[in-house]
Amino acid sequence: MTEHVLLLVGSPKGPDRSQSGRLGRIVTDDLEQRGWSSKTIHLHEAVQTREGTDDLLQAVDRADIVLFAAPLYVDSLPAPAIRALQRIAEDRAAQPSTKVPRFVSIMNCGFVEPAQNDTCQRILQQFAQKACFEWIGGISLGSGGRVTRRIRQAFGLLSEAVHEEILVPEAVETMTRKPLLPSRIYVIGGNLMWKRIARKNEVLGRIRTAPYRRP
Amino acid sequence: MEKEILVLDGGAKSDALTHQVGETLVRLAKGRGFSPTLLRLDELDIAPCLGCFSCWIKTPGLCVIDDAGRDVARRIVQSDVVVFLSPVVFGGYSPELKKALDRAIPLLSPFFRRIKGEVHHVKRYTHYPRLVGLGILSGHDEVEEELFEALIRRNAINLHAPKVSVGLLSARDDEETRDRRIEWVLAEGLS
Repeated sequence: MTEHVLLLVGSPKGPDRSQSGRLGRIVTDDLEQRGWSSKTIHLHEAVQTREGTDDLLQAVDRADIVLFAAPLYVDSLPAPAIRALQRIAEDRAAQPSTKVPRFVSIMNCGFVEPAQNDTCQRILQQFAQKACFEWIGGISLGSGGRVTRRIRQAFGLLSEAVHEEILVPEAVETMTRKPLLPSRIYVIGGNLMWKRIARKNEVLGRIRTAPYRRP
Repeated sequence: MEKEILVLDGGAKSDALTHQVGETLVRLAKGRGFSPTLLRLDELDIAPCLGCFSCWIKTPGLCVIDDAGRDVARRIVQSDVVVFLSPVVFGGYSPELKKALDRAIPLLSPFFRRIKGEVHHVKRYTHYPRLVGLGILSGHDEVEEELFEALIRRNAINLHAPKVSVGLLSARDDEETRDRRIEWVLAEGLS
């Protein structure tokens, strides 16, 4: 029987315009080549309507594995993604199922250190446990989820682990855990990038504006 | 001048306990001579952050969404102490609290700097409030207690809070125990 992967994208930009969506698709594309079927849901949209939420809950019921991909917002998940996880956990508690889908997460943050996703990954692990999923691992990326050759190799191992129904190998963490750049270089490069964009938008002169300064 | 305390109540509409704790916080803060403001976030129109970064590179310091999210961000940075009051959800915050925090990134500069060896955003303001995290658990859960504390301590680094304190309550506590713990965490945050 064809196995089914459900990709949940927790970025406000959605599956097609976000790095989270792109990262998730690396895995779903790989699994499709191995004969899997896939479905992608944008959590921000799903939680806005009753129909969207019902569709989300039904899709979770059908999934053999849930692949969760999101950006780090203020050390945690974006609010609509938390709302979606709450709905899933409530639904699974209300209608206990014998099926225990697997759960794997891909978090990316705008800092250079992938480790800044750690607290959020543990929150996701806690969700998986409470909502009766089998947590098989999480990938944390820094640098806005930039994909290098090493990261792509790690995603290959992740897809293989999902396909072979094993835990995500430690090698994946080893390959993704190391920052892509020394932090000093990242700070210099990042600050130059922000200045360049602000100059293009003609706001460089007021980029440090503090409109809510105390009277 | 009286110190300003902002209580961000992250309880859902049906979460009477969290709202009751919010009111207790306000009463106790007033008793200590502070000027508290309680915001029930479930009653405010706050759209989710768009992740567009316009508040950094198009309208610096100001979110492009003109709703109550802007007002909450302003109140945060103009307060002396901000209380993140939330039911503990998988060890983290409720979506009601988080939607307000996601919209607070205009309070930071886009620029990076290293703080204790890690990359973080630079301050936009010279003053940032102290943070107090008050989480409400449905029952005793060591993992979630530890996670909630870890989360608010991470927030304190990113939001440049000069001081952070954390308290946890259980829905199973009796009222007296609960009030004692609220009093304790408030005293920690205000001292």
